[in-house]
Amino acid sequence: MERFGFRAMGGGCEIAVAEMEKEESKRLASLGIEEVNRIERKYSRYLPETVVSKINAQAGRNWTVCDEETVALLDYADTVWCSSGGLFDVTSGVLQRAWDFDRAAVPPQEKLLPLVKLVGWKQVERKASAVRLKQKGMQLDFGGICKEYAADAAALLLSGLGVRHGYVNLAGDIRVIGPKADGTSWTFGIRHPRKPEGLMASIPVTSGAIATSGDYERFFESEGQRYCHIINPVTGFPVMFWRSVTVLAPLAATAGSCATIAMLMEAEGLNFLKDSGFRYLAVDQAGRMYYNQ
Amino acid sequence: MDSLQGKNSNRRTRRLAALLASAAMLLPPANNACADAAPEQGVVSLKYLNYHDSQSGDTYKTAGMSRDRINVNALSLMVMVPVAGEWSVAMTCTEDSITGASPAHHGWGFPADSSSGASGELRYAGDLSVTRYFSKGTLSAGSSYSQESDYISRGISLSGTLSDGSKNTTISLGTAYNSDTVDLNKPAVIDSKKSESPRSKRVFSALFGVTQVMSQNDIMQIIVTWTHGKGYYSDPYKDPDVRPDMRRMFTFMTRWNHHFEAPDGTARLSYRYYTDTFGIRAHTLNVEYVQALPHGWEITPMVRYYSQSAADFYVPTGDDPFVAARVDGMQYYSGDQRLSAFGAFSYGVRVAKELGRSWMADVKYENYEQRYDWGISGRGDSGIPTFNARNIQIGLTRKL
Repeated sequence: MERFGFRAMGGGCEIAVAEMEKEESKRLASLGIEEVNRIERKYSRYLPETVVSKINAQAGRNWTVCDEETVALLDYADTVWCSSGGLFDVTSGVLQRAWDFDRAAVPPQEKLLPLVKLVGWKQVERKASAVRLKQKGMQLDFGGICKEYAADAAALLLSGLGVRHGYVNLAGDIRVIGPKADGTSWTFGIRHPRKPEGLMASIPVTSGAIATSGDYERFFESEGQRYCHIINPVTGFPVMFWRSVTVLAPLAATAGSCATIAMLMEAEGLNFLKDSGFRYLAVDQAGRMYYNQ
Repeated sequence: MDSLQGKNSNRRTRRLAALLASAAMLLPPANNACADAAPEQGVVSLKYLNYHDSQSGDTYKTAGMSRDRINVNALSLMVMVPVAGEWSVAMTCTEDSITGASPAHHGWGFPADSSSGASGELRYAGDLSVTRYFSKGTLSAGSSYSQESDYISRGISLSGTLSDGSKNTTISLGTAYNSDTVDLNKPAVIDSKKSESPRSKRVFSALFGVTQVMSQNDIMQIIVTWTHGKGYYSDPYKDPDVRPDMRRMFTFMTRWNHHFEAPDGTARLSYRYYTDTFGIRAHTLNVEYVQALPHGWEITPMVRYYSQSAADFYVPTGDDPFVAARVDGMQYYSGDQRLSAFGAFSYGVRVAKELGRSWMADVKYENYEQRYDWGISGRGDSGIPTFNARNIQIGLTRKL
């Protein structure tokens, strides 16, 4: 088995390919990495010429015509918004302007409220394949969807090129292409939300995807309270109920979205996970674990 | 070539759109009434979208540094039972990979670039290749580099194809050189294998292939590859495991597609032979037949057989499969299951139907079973359990 590591999507990534000659593995893995880079470059909020930056630049002004892939992502964002009761909102990126993780200060209400007004998927206007953000200052942010989508896209590409055993891991969101060469499952460990080097659980997986959303990726602590990067679009404040949520689903996009939605729903998240029918493992602030078998 | 790339890119976009649609359909339905996007519950499993291209041997062992007449078979979703085992909570074990982001230092932005060995190791990989197209062929040169905490791999390759005027005959040639370095200083390395100085491995390989259009209804292909490697082949994290420091590999693969005009069907046969100096010999035989039926139906039964002999130095499980087997007196030894003898048999069928001009629906069933005593020699390691897998895929395709 060959493992190919690389940096993308804000973290350490890895593509594993088994049962192929080394040359071929390398060639295929590099195609997978290219696909991940392509998606990251296309939808980054920070680079000037990306699809998302162009749409954001036209906020409150003109329509932007989108290609098929972007339309599909917007459709997906719509479904996730619905499924989460409006909590998973791709326009909530603007709130991160108020939450300065470097300065570790809780923003005052007068800074938050105007930004909360700029959040709202309902304010994203769509007409066929064109899109427009209604108010000036609104921003689309595919950061919460892109990583998992890229894992699925890379796995799809490799599977189509003949890979039957392997997986794609993008900074912790994993999509399995196929089980190990002898048919046994991969074993994936789940990072402990309070011990940076530790694992708290593991699970064998033969197919599908596993993704984790947690309050330990980007955060600051102030007066004994942790403020993480997952922000409730209605209140403008970070969520505080779960330390981490892990979900297993057939596609990484679904697994990742469900994990994030559960985090956003806070106490209600457990019912959401139960209704989803997927395997889950959630840890609350007291360190208690909830999981199904 | 340009229009082919344009076509491929459209296909890919369509597959990606289908992928997202599938992902959306799997989300739990909305609690409140959302005018547009509520997915239907319970019918999800019938709506996976799958783009299927004809004319393809889907053997994953397609050798080759040049991609000849092999098309892409893409799956947007695969359903296999079971998906996952049980959660094991609060146990330390070695994992293949880890879910959950590597925690960053407090602060905005990406994690610190110092691969402080903190959470997972940081790995870098780069690949560069250049292809030049001529009227009668192609020439490609490539180089690759990959670095992980315990392994560095560098490689260069050169390959080309040459066709005659009518493109009935295409010859492929390729060669590659790889140099790898493995670090034996990591904590998880078996004590007896630890070493301050890293070990290396150098692999040289060559490929030669011919694709020939034999008649209006026949295409044949032969590809042979040779590989010679010298260096460190053992697994540093396993005990007992000592492998020879040289490995030569040879593969021979032949493929034949024949179209029957009268019944409008195509038979596809392929056979691959593999042997190496570790003593492993493997055969793969793949047979499928595509039959077009009236009213846009198509049925493709398939059968595949794979047999592998054990490496000369494979050490079978003893009476107790959980206790490492004895290796007295052997110069080389390994208990790695993948080096054991076994055979595997797959059979399956695909049924497809055209719906209107642009759409097609298909259902595919495949059953895989692997047993230690199914190899040609009939002798394997009875300590290794039988493996069974069943695979059902349902798809809807938009044709170009």
